[in-house]
Amino acid sequence: MSGQLIINGIVNASLIAPPAIAFSLLFGILRFPNFAIGAYVTVGAFIAYALNVGAGMPMWIAGLGAMAGTAVVVWLSDVLVFKPMRGHTPVTLLVVSIALALIIEHIIRLFYGADVRGFDLPLERPIKFAGLRITGEQIDIIVMTIVIGIAIHLLLQYTRIGKAMRATADNETLAEVRGINTSYVIAFTWFICGALFGLTGVFAGLDLVIEPLVGWYLTIPIFAAAILGGIGSPYGAMLGALLVGLAEELTVLVLPSSYKIGVGFVIIAVLLLIRPHGLLGQPEIKK
Amino acid sequence: MAEDLLEAENVCVGYGRGDIVHGVDVSVSAGRIATIIGPNGAGKSTMIKTIAGVLTRREGSIRIDGREIGGKPASEIARCGVAYVPQEANVFRQLTVTENLQMGSWIEPKEFDARYEKVCALFPILKERAKVRAGNLSGGQRQMVAFGMALMVEPKVLLLDEPSAGLSPAMVEQMFDIIKQVNKTGIAVLMVEQNAMQALKISDHGYVMAAGQVAMSAPASELLDSSEVSELYLGTRQ
Ligand SMILES: Nc1ncnc2c1ncn2[C@@H]1O[C@H](COP(=O)(O)OP(=O)(O)OP(=O)(O)O)[C@@H](O)[C@H]1O
Ligand SMILES: [Mg+2]
Repeated sequence: MSGQLIINGIVNASLIAPPAIAFSLLFGILRFPNFAIGAYVTVGAFIAYALNVGAGMPMWIAGLGAMAGTAVVVWLSDVLVFKPMRGHTPVTLLVVSIALALIIEHIIRLFYGADVRGFDLPLERPIKFAGLRITGEQIDIIVMTIVIGIAIHLLLQYTRIGKAMRATADNETLAEVRGINTSYVIAFTWFICGALFGLTGVFAGLDLVIEPLVGWYLTIPIFAAAILGGIGSPYGAMLGALLVGLAEELTVLVLPSSYKIGVGFVIIAVLLLIRPHGLLGQPEIKK
Repeated sequence: MAEDLLEAENVCVGYGRGDIVHGVDVSVSAGRIATIIGPNGAGKSTMIKTIAGVLTRREGSIRIDGREIGGKPASEIARCGVAYVPQEANVFRQLTVTENLQMGSWIEPKEFDARYEKVCALFPILKERAKVRAGNLSGGQRQMVAFGMALMVEPKVLLLDEPSAGLSPAMVEQMFDIIKQVNKTGIAVLMVEQNAMQALKISDHGYVMAAGQVAMSAPASELLDSSEVSELYLGTRQ
């Protein structure tokens, strides 16, 4: 029984990890929690839906299309909304991002209503072994998340642009002084994060359902994972996602499953009290 | 009259409403060192930030080799041969020492290997602590990372905001030696220093800034001899 919960937890973690990494990267350059991330995920799910069900494309093309399309939408949200507002307080920006999330959600409702949808996929039997079950899509999600985690690691650690992303997140003024075109680096960061949110939309459509609030439901677990790992630390976000993913599923052992949604909140609240810089984040050292 | 390598004329700049620096002239020619001294809050850092392009001058002109750089973003000014070491937040704390130096050679990545050896010859500690995050270093070591980063390019103009801050007295001596050494290769150095006496000793020219203006501009030796300057700025430190 709990073996199945661990499998569910790992699937759940794989769903949360890419957007938690993206949220962390964005936080590094924006310095405010962007609540529109859930809406970005929803955009990804619906672009994939439009391409897969609407235009009849195979799932993998629809998935790539969703990543590209969401990357553009997310980048535009910076150009049109957040960039003109740079320099405002984090609280102002947070409220603006909530407003943006509501606007995006309602634009989607305008076109698709509130119906619950799903991708057009051949029906497959779940794989069963030793009384445990997992679907082919869930295996895909886990594998792709691992690949993405490694790819992001390689990008940040070994490529020129990746190092510039870290440098810009660390100290934007100094990066500029060293000759780095930080506006370009920031735009690139938005694109990469947008693609990750788009991919999460696809995953959500595969594992959950497609509806205008699908991303919103993921927002709190994503925040919890990013905060748990130490906000602004992409590796922490991966670890945080694993812990939140497992915690959400394993609470079913002790609490009715309707409490699952509260797990993220509890993790956030407890962490902010006892270890505000998260598990892997570094506390700010004051000079 | 030959143009100086760096010439700033009548620079006015501030942060919000109102100016902090009111019409300051500063210039340095190739192979020379000029030092700005003055009390806290005089606008020394503000002036040097403006030359580096971190702040944009509101009035006046800033030229390198006769070419106007005032109004350009910092990343472009870096490409015009200006290397600036800020007073604060002058390293990438989350990056390792080596990664910091890689950022130093961002505009000339192919030169990294050769320059890395040169900079580590000046500051051997940077090689010893290559894999340590800059944020975990002592203040003095961070200062060396910051300076080393600026030397990863071969700048025409080096702008140093309190390069000796946080260093032990022995290291201060060494830092000024290194500045002199670097300067001898033909680089123009403009620095702000609290160790006014030692800084002026290696300088050709000195400026005293107070309340956003140049109160005195004279050859460094004259400032060292001036009783007014030594009473106000040198006596207190030595
Ligand atoms: N980021 C900023 N925003 C607003 N005002 C600032 C900022 N930085 C400095 N100031 C103000 O500008 C004035 C000049 O500051 P500046 O840092 O240039 O002085 P300084 O001569 O370098 O002093 P110190 O010797 O302490 O480094 C001060 O009154 C300071 O309060
Ligand atoms: Mg200063």
